[in-house]
Amino acid sequence: MTTLPGSSDCPRCQKEMGIEMDWFKTVKASTVLDEGSVATEVDGLRVALWAVDGEIYATGNICTHAFAYLTDGHVENGCVECPLHQGLFDIRSGKALRAPVSKDLATFAVKQEDGYVWIDVNTPGPKSEASPAVTSAIGTDDRTLVVVGAGQAGAETVIALRKLGFGGRIVMVGAEPHPPYERPSLSKGLLLGKRKLEDALVFEPDQAEELMLDLKLGATVVAIETEDKTITLEGGESLAYDILILATGARPRELECTGSDNTEIHYLRDLGDAERLGGALRNAGKVAIVGGGFIGLELASAARKLGAEVTVIEAQSRLMTRLLPAGPANHLADIARENGVEIELDAHIINVSDKGVGLSDGRVIEADCIIAGIGAVPNDDLAGPAGIRTAERGGIIVDMVSRTNLPGVYAVGDVAVRQDHSDGPMLRMESWQNARLSAERAARHITKLNPGAEDDPWFWSDLFDITVQIFGHVNADMPVVRRDGEEAPVFMAQDAIGRVRCVIDFGDPSALREAKTLMADGQPLAADGSGARNSEEDDMKHQPIESRFVWPTDGLVSVPDWVYTDKEIYDREVERIFHGRTWNYVGLECEVPSPGDFIRSYVGPTPVVVSRDEDGEVHVFENRCSHRAAEFCRELRGNASEFVCPYHEWSYDLKGNLAGVPFRRGANGAGGMPTDFNPADHGLCKLNVARRGGVVFASYSDDVESFEDYLGDEMLKDYDAVFSGRKLKLLGHYRHTIMGNWKLYPENLKDPYHATLLHTFLVTFGLLVAGNKSAMICDPKGRHSTMASAKSDKAVSEDNKKEMRAYRDGMSLSDKRLMDFVPEFDSPWSVTMQVVWPNLIVQREMNTLGVRQIVPNGPNEFTMIWTMFGYEDDDDEMTRHRLRQGNLMGPAGYLGIEDNEAIKFVQDGMLNSTPARHTVQLDPDVPAGTSETLISEAAIRALYQHWREEMGL
Amino acid sequence: MRELRPTLDKSLKDVKGTLVRARDPAYREAKHEVEAFNAAYCAVLDDGDLEDWPEFFTEDGFYNIVSRENFDYGLPVGLVYCEGKNMMRDRALAIAKTSMFGPRYLRHYMTNTRISEIGENGMIRAETNYMLIEVLSELPSGRIHQAGRMQDVFETQDDGRLLLKSRVAIYDTLLVHNALVLPV
Repeated sequence: MTTLPGSSDCPRCQKEMGIEMDWFKTVKASTVLDEGSVATEVDGLRVALWAVDGEIYATGNICTHAFAYLTDGHVENGCVECPLHQGLFDIRSGKALRAPVSKDLATFAVKQEDGYVWIDVNTPGPKSEASPAVTSAIGTDDRTLVVVGAGQAGAETVIALRKLGFGGRIVMVGAEPHPPYERPSLSKGLLLGKRKLEDALVFEPDQAEELMLDLKLGATVVAIETEDKTITLEGGESLAYDILILATGARPRELECTGSDNTEIHYLRDLGDAERLGGALRNAGKVAIVGGGFIGLELASAARKLGAEVTVIEAQSRLMTRLLPAGPANHLADIARENGVEIELDAHIINVSDKGVGLSDGRVIEADCIIAGIGAVPNDDLAGPAGIRTAERGGIIVDMVSRTNLPGVYAVGDVAVRQDHSDGPMLRMESWQNARLSAERAARHITKLNPGAEDDPWFWSDLFDITVQIFGHVNADMPVVRRDGEEAPVFMAQDAIGRVRCVIDFGDPSALREAKTLMADGQPLAADGSGARNSEEDDMKHQPIESRFVWPTDGLVSVPDWVYTDKEIYDREVERIFHGRTWNYVGLECEVPSPGDFIRSYVGPTPVVVSRDEDGEVHVFENRCSHRAAEFCRELRGNASEFVCPYHEWSYDLKGNLAGVPFRRGANGAGGMPTDFNPADHGLCKLNVARRGGVVFASYSDDVESFEDYLGDEMLKDYDAVFSGRKLKLLGHYRHTIMGNWKLYPENLKDPYHATLLHTFLVTFGLLVAGNKSAMICDPKGRHSTMASAKSDKAVSEDNKKEMRAYRDGMSLSDKRLMDFVPEFDSPWSVTMQVVWPNLIVQREMNTLGVRQIVPNGPNEFTMIWTMFGYEDDDDEMTRHRLRQGNLMGPAGYLGIEDNEAIKFVQDGMLNSTPARHTVQLDPDVPAGTSETLISEAAIRALYQHWREEMGL
Repeated sequence: MRELRPTLDKSLKDVKGTLVRARDPAYREAKHEVEAFNAAYCAVLDDGDLEDWPEFFTEDGFYNIVSRENFDYGLPVGLVYCEGKNMMRDRALAIAKTSMFGPRYLRHYMTNTRISEIGENGMIRAETNYMLIEVLSELPSGRIHQAGRMQDVFETQDDGRLLLKSRVAIYDTLLVHNALVLPV
């Protein structure tokens, strides 16, 4: 690396092409081309010269995030990685490509003359694209968006919103008198006085004005009225909002013990704290820090720099027991100790006083400055009274797009607790990155964009002159592999199958790069912790399924083909879904009305028998003789007093118990079963049975919830409308194969988008009109759903007709009876198509009723068994009405034909073309779940959210 | 009104009577007419000209395609279920004008015609085996789509032509490949 002083001998002020240019002669071009990067100083500016593919470029040399020379960083593919926190810039354009950097580098015009590189500090480089004017959209939207909280998360939300084209008014209310600033340097540069507030501000100078942000600082919000959509400020002023962003952050948890009320204890949350604490530390001789987390260690580092004696007091037996595995946590403790910090572990605080901190073992840690860093409490006080859902442990609950439970109300940053679906885990993260990402998710949702790729968590801490970084998801129990780099170790935390899920780095960029490559690779490490899994004979088949089938990083908006075409995935579905914790439809009670009645059926692909015993109980067992596996029951249905396997005449009772084994005792005293053969151990494989409303379900799982809990209240309502207790009358079956993956069928019924486009019949004859009353309802887990519509007499509007290419006007039915709807259900809907995951569709198409049972035959084909029914109290005309309306559905139904064909076309497309992904992006407003609109794929996304959890993929 | 449960053909149990009737000139004549009718019927369907298909039926004609499984258990559900020629017209219109399905050739074969009864006013009860071959673009070698039998009741019109008063197609091939787009 060559650093040349700049410009004393440079001629200035040349005029070229009428533009004011400021050319400075710098270093020899050959030096730049040889070395790849050269740091120099021009006219007081620190400039980096780069050689990329034989061309020379000039940029600013200081990272826009923190003070580091980029020429000390790693250059690859025309990009430079900052040596400090691995932010990434494009050298040609200066573009900030990867967090934590968000501001672009300055670029400078470059020319070569006389073998020297000349640069012009007043003219940007040619490749620099002017960022699009964010303000052009302002005024196009009459909504007002109010951000409560003027911290980093709130400010990032505003920046992202404007970048994404939000055109409404934006008001930001903040309690502190300062414009939004980033907090990480509070415990570092700002504390030590090395950085000024201006360096930490989120907005660049004049940016707030450019964003047309109405910034109300020093104002405290005292109430949110969600009914009126207003917030009230201290002093009584009220502000109306259409969209509300809660970015209220968190406050330090207070230390409570004897003496804590009348002893000065320092906390660190805002600039005021930092200024006070900085002053105190400069005068302190002995500092006691309560809490051995990152804040505590960063403050310990700062205090040591100022020459104080420092003791860190930690209640647990090691540092960061909840956050980190022991290896990296102990390494951190070692670093602190090497830097002269005393660490007291297992230390319980009894009191605090002017003398210091008293411990339970009687000792007093002497201190003239006491600091507590024992965690933070989310500022969610405004939420509860406003009806915004909060978590028991504090924080405002949001979904994957930062929405709260109330429409138009979002929460971002430290105060937000993310829960992706109603019974999913809750995660609250306090990090610079989370402030930024949660803000971006909210902004993307408000501007109706897809959620975007999910970045792995990332956190950094600067302490004792090293930078500690944590990439990825980690918990204290993960096994850890340590690698020693040249300068520092890197720790890799692994998941259950040995994949690297988190990298914890102590400042060795090359070791970090290697570890991150292993993490991105998604392959389990070898037993010795090496990543050497690339030899020829170590073929893909030896890798666990989770490593070979990796869901796309852009989340639920795309579904990869392998979900539908791979045999291994299919086998796992049978194991985890059909044979897992699910209730599977097996038949109607009216198919087995009397004792001894039986039918053949299936759970997933597995043949079972449904039988009614002498006591009227219904039993479900596998159709497989426990002796030699013969599928003994061959008739579709019948009546029997027992089941006898034809091969060796083993017999079973109607409950599936083994009743008789011919020649069990042998013949003439010879042969036969061993004396300890116990028939009770050799019954048929029995499944658990649930019945509701005349329908029989079976489950392989012993710990599955009740059928009612499985379906949930909302889904039960639609289910019970059909199975209300009215006795069912069997009308007959259809059986057909569909050459497609079985999931395409439930998907078809979670895809209201197709209904008016594919099914021209519905539209032509007025059964379904875009814009008429309809709904696509999902259960909270995303597995079950109801597609519902209410019959309308409205004609199709001209606008909607144009959208539906297949629309054919001027046709009407000769026999109108097909469309008659005889009201007979306790439901606002005339049509409900309900998916009861995984294998049942309940069809209520006006008065034609049926259940469709999915029987998968491998990944590329399934059989559908339809059982059509009416009610016992139907008269002949009602039965005929159901049969006539049956022309809509089934393998020859007006709608059925089209769905079957479409599903086949989809599978053909996947099997015959280049494997790729499906796009399911419609309706970004609802990331997954129930949507208000039919032009939506949110229900499909919800299905795959659930599927991925069940499959562990 | 028609009985919901299709009745079994009693004449199947009367082998001697069947053989005797087969030699009866009236039955031979009726068989000839039914075969000529079915040849025309198949030709129309094979041609794909679905809108002419209802013309083989009386105004109150009945048409049902029912699986042998349902038929044997007396269950009325059919793949296609039409009460009256208007419903057939609607099906022809819907399939021809609104339905989406892949291109295909269909070839119908009707054989083994038996006349089981000749009634008053030119009523003919007949039974015929049928087979439907389906050729799809992805399956150019074709396959059997359905095999089964028709139970028919014909009505002789004033001009002497036969029309179907009822046709019930009972298919043995229980598992339908994908979809049945055209009548049989």
